[in-house]
Amino acid sequence: MSAAVIPTPLQTAKAVFKGYLPRVLQARGWVLAGLPLVPVGIIMLVAIVMKAQGERVPPGLAVEVFHKALAQYFLPIMALVAAPAGIREDIEQRTIPLMLARPATVWALPFGKGLLWYGWGVLWLAFACLGLVAIGGSFEALPRMVGSLASAYWAELAFMTLLGLVFKRGSLWGALYLFVWDRAIWILPGNLQRLTFAHYVENISGTKSSVVNASHMLAQTQVVTPTLVAALVLFLAGCVFWALAGWRLQATPIGLAGADSEG
Amino acid sequence: MISLNRASLRYGQILGLSPTTFELPAGGGITGLLGPNGAGKSSLIQLLSGLLPCSSGDVRVLGEEPYRNPAILARIGLVPEGDRFPSGLKGRGWLRMMGELSGLEGPALEAAIEKALGIVGMETRAHLRFNQMSKGMRQRIRLAQALLHDPELLILDEPFNGLDPEARILLMEMLRKLADGGVKIIVSSHILGEIAQLTDRILLLFRGRLLAEGNVAEIRELLDRHPVELRLSAEDARAVARWAVDQGELVGLRLEEGSAILAVRNPRTFLPRMQEAVVAGKLPLTALDPLDLNLDAVFQYLTKDHA
Repeated sequence: MSAAVIPTPLQTAKAVFKGYLPRVLQARGWVLAGLPLVPVGIIMLVAIVMKAQGERVPPGLAVEVFHKALAQYFLPIMALVAAPAGIREDIEQRTIPLMLARPATVWALPFGKGLLWYGWGVLWLAFACLGLVAIGGSFEALPRMVGSLASAYWAELAFMTLLGLVFKRGSLWGALYLFVWDRAIWILPGNLQRLTFAHYVENISGTKSSVVNASHMLAQTQVVTPTLVAALVLFLAGCVFWALAGWRLQATPIGLAGADSEG
Repeated sequence: MISLNRASLRYGQILGLSPTTFELPAGGGITGLLGPNGAGKSSLIQLLSGLLPCSSGDVRVLGEEPYRNPAILARIGLVPEGDRFPSGLKGRGWLRMMGELSGLEGPALEAAIEKALGIVGMETRAHLRFNQMSKGMRQRIRLAQALLHDPELLILDEPFNGLDPEARILLMEMLRKLADGGVKIIVSSHILGEIAQLTDRILLLFRGRLLAEGNVAEIRELLDRHPVELRLSAEDARAVARWAVDQGELVGLRLEEGSAILAVRNPRTFLPRMQEAVVAGKLPLTALDPLDLNLDAVFQYLTKDHA
């Protein structure tokens, strides 16, 4: 009879990662891939047109696009698109009982599936940053740009996954956090800025969005976090969010009807 | 192998399964969970397969509490109700993932996949995406995932739903073969005829309560106070009806062309007397048909009694 052994958490995460790998090459995966390329692609076209007309591409354009488009809008949208394709998808499609009935480590399931969408997203974020270099961004700044987006995506995806497991409308709460609270960084006083993802993106990338300047009403002095500390904070925050998501799934009885999974 | 001691399951305010007590012995064989929709079959299956913890009481499967217990889950295969699969995946790839989630890997995993696909007859079609498969094919793949790790206990929730007659027969044959091979199988259905063909042991559920357990004959034993319907065919059906009324065992009688339909309170005493009367030439019968000695009738009686 049964000769099966109990898979370790690593084997569980690996199995889910491999099993769902074909999903990134389907519609949602290509949408995710296209998101960071869209603003960069548009700006590249604009730059080409400007050069063709003999005009000079503004020197700070790449940094502007990096902060105002990629980091502030497209990165959160990527997290909002990718998180529902994680373990939340199995809960909504009611395929999760099939996995929960296996002897696998339950808490490793959200991480395994999330890692797949994280890796795919980072790949395309890196391509987008390469595009920024092509429109005048500093090649030396490329590792910091990729590093900051990769770190923020890690934490934001984990955050959205956790919200999706805790709340029925996790995406809504996540969108509010990412598009309202995070955008308010320039009016947040002191250490409250450290509760935004944007703060860490700016400190890891080494550049700031030109949104914040002394002429803005309510603008606050922006605090500084050392680059490595900022990266570590985002990494640890992501780890904590993944762990909480795993704990939430482990602690939630989910039956065949799936009703118990709803927040 | 399986024991429930006043185990119940609540979904918030709704009682899915009333406190239930029963035991199923170790060894192969098929046990049917029978009851209409909402009877508590899926609730019981969710307790047995470790998906949900019981709200009260105690559930033991293979000697231990199954809920989130990997040691027990590794010995159970579950085929849940419904036709839901992860979108965009192919059969073989999904089986590989499910096998890995069962602790299989390397050549052992590939061998297990081939073996399971062989059992369900899907070796040549497992490369298809789920949305390219028929419902019957998807059901077979779902059965295959439950067989990958050679489970000692196989639990199937409404496996015949939506299958065409041919696929149903094939699935029944597969289940019989597995049971003959020593796998304990629990299969739920509300289709009484299918369960009657398949199982040697039945648990009858209704409105979250276990009404009866045993084989069809044993359940029938519980029904002595319920009438049994018999069709007595004769040229003179009225004469047969008169004789039957004289016996004092009838609770119902209706005449049809060429036959009398009797509802007999106690067939154990009525039938021998009828046999004697036929032999003695007092009862001109041409045929006797029991109308309700099948599972449908048993089910109707029990559920009516508890409704």
